[in-house]
Amino acid sequence: MQSAVMKPALALYTTLFLVFLYAPFAILAILSFQTGPEGGPQFPIIEWSSYWYQHLFGLAPPSRVAPLPIGESLFRSMTLAFMTMIVSTVLGVMSAQAFRSRFKGSGIVFYLIVLGMMVPGVLVGLGMALVANFFGIDRHWWSTAFVLHVVYTFPFAFLVMLAIFNRFDKSVEEASWSLGVSPARTFRKVTFPLIFPGVLSAMLFAFTLSYDEFSRTLFASGRDLTLPLAIYGTFAVEIHPNVFAFGVLTTLFSFALLGVYAILMSLSVRRARRIAIQEE
Amino acid sequence: MVATRDESEMTTTTTTIAAENAHVDPPPRNNGARVAYWLIAPGVVWMGLFLVLPMLMIVYVSFWTQTTFKIEPILTTKSWVTFFASDTYLGALGTTVRIWLTVLATTLLVGYPSALFVGLFVKNKTIQTVLLTLCVIPFWTSFLIRVLAWRPMLGKEGAINLILMKFGIITQPIEALLFSDLSVVIGMTQIYCVFMVGPIAFMLARIDPNIIEAARDLGAGFWRIFRTIILPLSMPGVVVGAIFVSVMVLGEFATSAALSGRKVNLLGNIIVTQVGSLKWAFAAVAGVILTIVIGAVVAGLLRIVDLRNEL
Repeated sequence: MQSAVMKPALALYTTLFLVFLYAPFAILAILSFQTGPEGGPQFPIIEWSSYWYQHLFGLAPPSRVAPLPIGESLFRSMTLAFMTMIVSTVLGVMSAQAFRSRFKGSGIVFYLIVLGMMVPGVLVGLGMALVANFFGIDRHWWSTAFVLHVVYTFPFAFLVMLAIFNRFDKSVEEASWSLGVSPARTFRKVTFPLIFPGVLSAMLFAFTLSYDEFSRTLFASGRDLTLPLAIYGTFAVEIHPNVFAFGVLTTLFSFALLGVYAILMSLSVRRARRIAIQEE
Repeated sequence: MVATRDESEMTTTTTTIAAENAHVDPPPRNNGARVAYWLIAPGVVWMGLFLVLPMLMIVYVSFWTQTTFKIEPILTTKSWVTFFASDTYLGALGTTVRIWLTVLATTLLVGYPSALFVGLFVKNKTIQTVLLTLCVIPFWTSFLIRVLAWRPMLGKEGAINLILMKFGIITQPIEALLFSDLSVVIGMTQIYCVFMVGPIAFMLARIDPNIIEAARDLGAGFWRIFRTIILPLSMPGVVVGAIFVSVMVLGEFATSAALSGRKVNLLGNIIVTQVGSLKWAFAAVAGVILTIVIGAVVAGLLRIVDLRNEL
């Protein structure tokens, strides 16, 4: 292989690829420090300031730019993501556990579950709105939108748990059973602690996907806006750097979330290692 | 934190529990299937009620009678006739297919070489993980914010025009960068190419280096090795990536709404506007057509490679 030429060329290409991935975000972060309220979302930077960050928290003096309706929508999005995370993870663990015994019809059920992450949000959203209209159900973020969020995130949780169970050492459970421990108790005391890292990943998936999800929410959530819907609302009108400032803050929040996940993960890995050493 | 306690107790309590439960029968192997059905039932019911039922409802409502502000459950094919008689709707179908094919090509073009580098050329596992993580990090920014971030990049006074003018490559700002087909394609490529890179890099990393080594020892050049070994073995990754990208691009409406200034109308945009004006039956027709397109695309892609044999 002509690695001597190919490798540097591909390395350069990959670097450019990463620049392509990150450049818009860098520009966005820079422009979020544009002066306000007269500075627009474009270059040049008239003056560096944290005006739009203050604007976001309602600390800036009132101006013609309406503040983003983030307070309540942020609360709704967090609540929705939390509810979705719990239900999806529980359903995911239960279904993956069921798939460990090859029951009849498991092939079809597998595709049914995976379908949930494949069908575009705009379609299920439309369908759910039609179903709600048909049965005269009111649409709310905590009802019709919530069930769709679970439809979307449950398959991810399911696949993560399936992968975990595939590498699971069955003999630990069998040992517990043969000692006469009931299956339910075995699950709680033996299986669950062992699959806990997988559960954490499933929870992280479900939370972040739901938190950012909006095409399903758009038709199914009724009047009250979730956070992505509030951002979507700014598409129609002129955008101001406050959206950019908000983007920077949400990204920092996501990293904080990712940090918590990493800490929990390393703790549980370390715990598993400690136990392995004890057993030896 | 409950888990922490459980974990530490686990080893010590197993024996005591065993003593307590000595009378309990050993594992219920024979009714394992029954337990499985109970475990799977909630998930199946959930998907049936909130996924299958809504999809069937779209098909059903697409045959309802649409009047100005409401729909009535009187079956008719009028909405279907309207759809296929309208240039706007057929145009949206055409645009959707065109944008989808373009984005599929660009994500492959942008993604494959990067995946080749990460999956095959980087031997160090740590660097490999770091590079893949770098690809995924943008996902922790809101999808909509990532779309919006392209506006100050591509605009008339945007970063790209500014840089190009500074280096004297152009004298006039290129206006076609934003609010055009191009901006939609650029935006979607950036957002979705990671779904192409991931699966391909995964498949490439699984190639046994000895095969490539053997081919090289036998005197094959890079292109020969690429054509006969690397490309065929990475095809499952390409197909999985293409399925991800296709499904997401075909169901898109936000990127085109934000970056095309309403000039690019995809089927998803048609659905959104029709719902906005309470034309549920028309929205449903567009929904059914979109479902058919997506189903055909996914089925076609699965024809290329039988994933169950490959993964």
